[in-house]
Amino acid sequence: MIEAIDLGKRFGPVTAVDGLSFTVRPGHVTGFLGPNGAGKTTTMRLILGLDEPTNGRALVNGHSYQHIVRPLHQVGALLDATAVHPGRTAWIHLWSIAQSNGIGRGRVTELLQLTGLEAVAHRRLNGFSLGMKQRLGIATALLGDPAVLMFDEPVNGLDTEGIMWIRQLFKDLAAEGRTVLVSSHLMSEMALTADHLIIIGRGRLIADAPATQLIDASTHQDVLVRSPRGDELADLLTARDAQVTTEPDGALAVTKTTAAAIGDLAAAHGIAVHELTPRHATLEEAYLELTGDSVDYRTAKGQP
Amino acid sequence: MTVIASEWTKLRAVRSTYWTLAIAVGTAIGFSIVVAYAFASPPSHGKPPDALLPGFASLEYAVLTAGALGALTFTSEYSTGLIRTTFAAVPRRRMVLAAKAIAVAAATFTIGELTAFVSFFADQAILNGHHRGVSLSQPGVPGAVLADGLLLFVCAMLGVGLGALIRHTAGAVVAVAGVIYLPAAFGALPPPWNDRVSRFTLFSAAEQVTAHHPSLTLFAPAISLVVLLAWPAATLAAAAVTITRRDA
Repeated sequence: MIEAIDLGKRFGPVTAVDGLSFTVRPGHVTGFLGPNGAGKTTTMRLILGLDEPTNGRALVNGHSYQHIVRPLHQVGALLDATAVHPGRTAWIHLWSIAQSNGIGRGRVTELLQLTGLEAVAHRRLNGFSLGMKQRLGIATALLGDPAVLMFDEPVNGLDTEGIMWIRQLFKDLAAEGRTVLVSSHLMSEMALTADHLIIIGRGRLIADAPATQLIDASTHQDVLVRSPRGDELADLLTARDAQVTTEPDGALAVTKTTAAAIGDLAAAHGIAVHELTPRHATLEEAYLELTGDSVDYRTAKGQP
Repeated sequence: MTVIASEWTKLRAVRSTYWTLAIAVGTAIGFSIVVAYAFASPPSHGKPPDALLPGFASLEYAVLTAGALGALTFTSEYSTGLIRTTFAAVPRRRMVLAAKAIAVAAATFTIGELTAFVSFFADQAILNGHHRGVSLSQPGVPGAVLADGLLLFVCAMLGVGLGALIRHTAGAVVAVAGVIYLPAAFGALPPPWNDRVSRFTLFSAAEQVTAHHPSLTLFAPAISLVVLLAWPAATLAAAAVTITRRDA
């Protein structure tokens, strides 16, 4: 479990994280979303004790990170996959980190196998592609078999096969009862992996809810109706408290009722219906709507 | 112990470590032989140069490479961002500082002493041909040679401390060079101020502890040894204070 309690971080005049409070629970893949510069990476660094918070605190399994002895057994993190010494081999890189937490050679070999890096284990890292470094970073995070995992933009640089692999890995890790926090600025990616979302913008919490709930809460949810007797049907619907707007091409966009109710009503009055489509906002749309303000605010602020 | 093992693995596994140490050893032994030959046939007037000076003088370049080796243990991690992985694995940052210092100390102390004794025997063999050599059985000689061997370690520790403080390779190496070489300028002060100031510098302290006939106007070798060790100790102490206070 990861807890942020009124967490804040200022860098001089810039407030990167502004009073964030949230809890990341085990058993789920939690997406940590926000536009670029929203404070996702800073928040993760605060959780890992790499940066000192200006106010508030972050707890991992109920403890401050700095006070955890051999923390790799409890928390695994991938912050920046390119942060490796180019002159060392993959094996030495992992082994040196493993040693610091008393983890054995067998585990290093096992993870190189799991991440598909076995064949390049003894190659120096300056020859590694970004995708290979991401795999190495994931291997590093998993070294101590931790119950809490954090990944910052892990999909960057991975090929399609790598992306499929990593999505499944996150789901498997969560299914094993682990806490999995994955950051991204791409909602489309999180829509496929995360079942819970924490959305931030300009360092502040915008939403913290199950992914499905975020879609349901979205205002863009309606039923598209096409009928040769559209005007007549619109009057009937309005009479039953549904809200009807007419689209530019003459189709009706109906809210405050269901597709089934519209179909039944049309049938009862002998009105032909050519199309009846419930429209859900995608997670992407819900996200843009939520973060739109925080992005707009930034642009507006730059104006005199 | 586990953290020391980790840092030892890191140090051992990069080619630059071997390069740096090979350059240190090669230049030190090579220069000392050249200097010994030069001393073997000095001008006939004046007193003959200190028989242990070739061993000390030849380290002038080697100490800088040792300092760079020490500095790189931190600066290479700060420049790549690896330091965040290191601190995430070991949140007690002073343990990381201590482990890096110990790993580098082990390497530079061993290599340093080896170099000092090889240089000594080579130099004295050359000087003995002209009846100017000294032997290990003479008073003061073993201590001076051991002290010679200590210099790579001292400068490497200076490098570790400055690397942790400055975080950038170029800046840290320039700082190491500054601490080692800049105080030579104090020698230009009018006497007795030149020695009164110089005796506190790392360079003069090193000169005193490694000489067969130490200068009488500087600190005695025992006090000079304290001065010599105080420089890296102070640097590492400053690093220990700041390392927990700054964001990684």
